[in-house]
Amino acid sequence: MIRPEPPTLLEKSGGGATPLSPPEKSGGGATPLSPPEKSGGGKAPAWIARGVWSRRLSVALRYGALTIMLVLFMAPVYGAIVTAFKTQAEVSAGGYWTIPRRFTIDNFARVMDPDAGNLGLYLGNSLLLTIPASLLSIGLGTLAGYGLGKYRFRGDGLLFVFIVAGMFLPPQIALIPVFRLMNDIGLYDTLWAVIIIHTAFGIPICTLVMRNFFQVVPNALREAALIDGANEYSIFLRIMLPLTLPALAVLATLQFTWIWNDFLWPFILTQRAESRTIMVGILNLTGQYTVDWGGQAAASLIGSLPTLFIFIFFQRYFIKGLTLGAVKG
Amino acid sequence: MLRRHKWIVPASFLLLPLLVYFTFVILPTLNSLYYSFTNWVGYGSDYKFIGLANFEKIFSDRLFSNAIRNTAIWLALAMTVPTLLGLALALGLQGKRRINTVYKSLFYLPICLSPVIIGIIWVWLYSPKLGIVNIFLRALGLNELATAWLANPNTALIAVFVAWAWQQTGLNMVIFLAGLTSVPAPLVEAAKVDGANTWQTLRKVIIPMLRPSTVVVLALTAINALKSFEIIWVMTRGGPFNKSDTLAVFMYSESFRKFKMGYGSSAAVILFAMTLIIIFLYFKQIARAEELYD
Repeated sequence: MIRPEPPTLLEKSGGGATPLSPPEKSGGGATPLSPPEKSGGGKAPAWIARGVWSRRLSVALRYGALTIMLVLFMAPVYGAIVTAFKTQAEVSAGGYWTIPRRFTIDNFARVMDPDAGNLGLYLGNSLLLTIPASLLSIGLGTLAGYGLGKYRFRGDGLLFVFIVAGMFLPPQIALIPVFRLMNDIGLYDTLWAVIIIHTAFGIPICTLVMRNFFQVVPNALREAALIDGANEYSIFLRIMLPLTLPALAVLATLQFTWIWNDFLWPFILTQRAESRTIMVGILNLTGQYTVDWGGQAAASLIGSLPTLFIFIFFQRYFIKGLTLGAVKG
Repeated sequence: MLRRHKWIVPASFLLLPLLVYFTFVILPTLNSLYYSFTNWVGYGSDYKFIGLANFEKIFSDRLFSNAIRNTAIWLALAMTVPTLLGLALALGLQGKRRINTVYKSLFYLPICLSPVIIGIIWVWLYSPKLGIVNIFLRALGLNELATAWLANPNTALIAVFVAWAWQQTGLNMVIFLAGLTSVPAPLVEAAKVDGANTWQTLRKVIIPMLRPSTVVVLALTAINALKSFEIIWVMTRGGPFNKSDTLAVFMYSESFRKFKMGYGSSAAVILFAMTLIIIFLYFKQIARAEELYD
């Protein structure tokens, strides 16, 4: 059902995906076709030269088109950055696109100020939510992934499908009952409610990635340890867990990004400022300061910094996780 | 002793995760089904079982049929625009040139941003006077095209969609690029040696080989599109005149604005059913692909 190939495929993609020699070389030497025109002496025949030029032209066209796309794609990001460092007066006079004439960090100070934007509190809340929820979902997913990846028992395939199916569930289907449940057990309007729900909804993807990972860990490792008298749990803790570090890194980047960026669950499950997360806080801010683009831009930058950090420094893991999560089923 | 191991050990690993998953994912899902047959209003436990009344009502609710229409438009756009763009970018940026790495990273960048922040940024872009979209149109002399994109009932849904697609395109590109690494280079070379031009190679060799990735992209995009709520909420709240009110937004407004929780649950159940159909089609495609390759 789930194929173990994706991880190996990905590994290949980085390095020597093409064992063949580059096409240029193979074209020049042994062409089975005879050139359509008489080749003049030692010079390369005209049809080969034309091939080189048309290839160069197509490369130029390709990167031209890609660059136009890229400029369009990056325009919103550029706009947010320059606006964040502009004064309010300059934004409303010159708009959104010019480089700041007078560089200012007032916008950042204003949105972080406890008496104004108060984003500091919400940033802290988001960290208090995202870190435990990521760790817990990864921990539980590792346990389940190990149970399903290294042991055969009746109904294991079915159980796996049952867990992975949760990845496809739209959150809307659980919204109302979870809202009620959290009210009933007294966790409504606390970060705990959001931590629990992100832990639970993270289990499917973490189980999927860890199960696929453990499946390709050689069984000989476990058998050798069993013969040496180790018990199942010390094998898991001492031998298997240290091996999983790359997979854990992949999941950590994914889970942190999703949970940090999520808006719907904290929006439904919290109310007071004391339990407000950064994304809910930023949206509230835009409601209060509708014309304060500088403040909104500064808030957007602040709210994106942690995930941008992950994206810049752990991009390999993040992208790998996206592919692993996507090639499911 | 050994026999007992057969299930006790795996069970000891699985017990805790399963318990959490069941309590906070599966049970609420089943509960939603139950609430959709009740007239619960969001507080107290004074509600009763009303059978299919919610569903009968919802199918004659003009706001609901409006939401379904918007969702259909949203889905149709979602399955074409970011898919084609993602494919084009992946094809353009495959291979190991150093410049590709830089380009790819920049195209991926929106993936790591929150839909809330994407929504906020795009609201400025669409701003009638100062937004770049209108500045650009005016610069091109297309003054009559410049409009208040998010306040205009005819453009609001599409305008929000473009912002959503900005993020989804990068995600699709990741999947297509992973798929492209599994297209054997000798096959592409062979096609070229046989005299196929770039377009023919693409049509007859690369696109067919990308079939599994395409299925994944389409299924994921459809599921993402159905549940997307944040970006619409941030940009338009479903307005103006409910013109960007999709099923996900409708479900939220009915349940948490009007506190018709039973009614909202039936909307959630319909959304869920649509997701199930997509998943079903997806698994059918996967099964077909496996038959083909075995």
